Amino acid sequence: MLRRVFSAMGTDVELLLDAKPGERSDRALDRAVAEFERLEQVMSRFRDESELSGLNRNGRIADASTDLVRVVELALQARESTGGRFDPTVHDAVVAAGYDRTFDAVAPDTTGHPFGAPARCGGGVRVRGHSIELEPGIRLDLGGIGKGYAADRVADLLAVVGSCLVNAGGDLAVRGGSWPVGVTDDVTLELTRGGMATSGRDRRRWLRNGEEQHHLIDPATGRPAAGGPIRVTVVAGSAVAAEVAAKAAFLGLDVDLPHVVVTADGHTVLAGGLS
Amino acid sequence: MTDTSRRLYAVVIAVVVFFVSWATVAAHPWATAKADPRLTALAQREQRLRADAKLVQQVVDSRTAAYHSALRARRAQIAAAKAQAAAAQARALRVSQSTTQAAQPAAAPDVRVVNLPPLTITRTS
Repeated sequence: MLRRVFSAMGTDVELLLDAKPGERSDRALDRAVAEFERLEQVMSRFRDESELSGLNRNGRIADASTDLVRVVELALQARESTGGRFDPTVHDAVVAAGYDRTFDAVAPDTTGHPFGAPARCGGGVRVRGHSIELEPGIRLDLGGIGKGYAADRVADLLAVVGSCLVNAGGDLAVRGGSWPVGVTDDVTLELTRGGMATSGRDRRRWLRNGEEQHHLIDPATGRPAAGGPIRVTVVAGSAVAAEVAAKAAFLGLDVDLPHVVVTADGHTVLAGGLS
Repeated sequence: MTDTSRRLYAVVIAVVVFFVSWATVAAHPWATAKADPRLTALAQREQRLRADAKLVQQVVDSRTAAYHSALRARRAQIAAAKAQAAAAQARALRVSQSTTQAAQPAAAPDVRVVNLPPLTITRTS
């Protein structure tokens, strides 16, 4: 079993590859690391020179890369299929809540920064070929779905060499093999294909004027979601699907997929066929 | 002019009148031309054919108009069917994509609860 850990997309990435050590597997792992870097350069909202930052700055991009177009399309489809619970246009709401830089750089307590008006979500995004256009005042945050997309894509690359698991800070993609994945202290799920993702308010949180904030925005209010479970882990056919479903389930959507919910009072509930 | 000359003129004129009369009588100007039955049959046949052609042309015109009308209707049906098929395909694609890539089960993930030490963990991403 080969393992490589590195930082990308503002989180820790772990690659597990069931292959013999050697030049071929090393090359595959190197390529996987490079692919994460390449995709971060496309989709990071924290890099000024990324494609996404250019799109958010100018409101349009005429020759977007295939990856950016694909992820934006996936995000828009997810918005439609989840009734707007998953929404890529929450950028300004996340920034308004205080998550305006990489999470490591966000001050744990930003007392003295009063809240502005809730940011508007659900704005228009038009994709035509390789052209993407945003409604004025709308910016995209592809953080979660971008990690899922990268995990799926890198897993496809590694699968050429052997069965593998890609874990991008909790967004997992699996291709072949059997992989026990710890979901809570008591629950371990064995995954042989597809993806898994967790959304919750137990991490990526901070205080602002004494109020706890987290990164999961409810598009209906433009504020961090109030109440609900601590976190939801969903297993789906891909990491992107799991990421979307986990976020939507956290915001109250019933998902017909295997999932694990940690309720607000700390209970763990298995659902969607898990027992 | 002498009597001999007068007589000569009279004879010549009489001869000329005789031959003219002969030719006239020989030509049978009073006899009506007898119609050739073959020509008559041909003329009748031509008339019948013209009438038939007119009738056939009317039928052809009528059928062409009906064909073009049916063709327009059929093309409209095909266009509507294509539009419906495209819309259905787009809907199916959206559903497929949304189920594959969003919140519904698609290529069903293979998962079960186990009592094994985890190789990795998932956490809030």
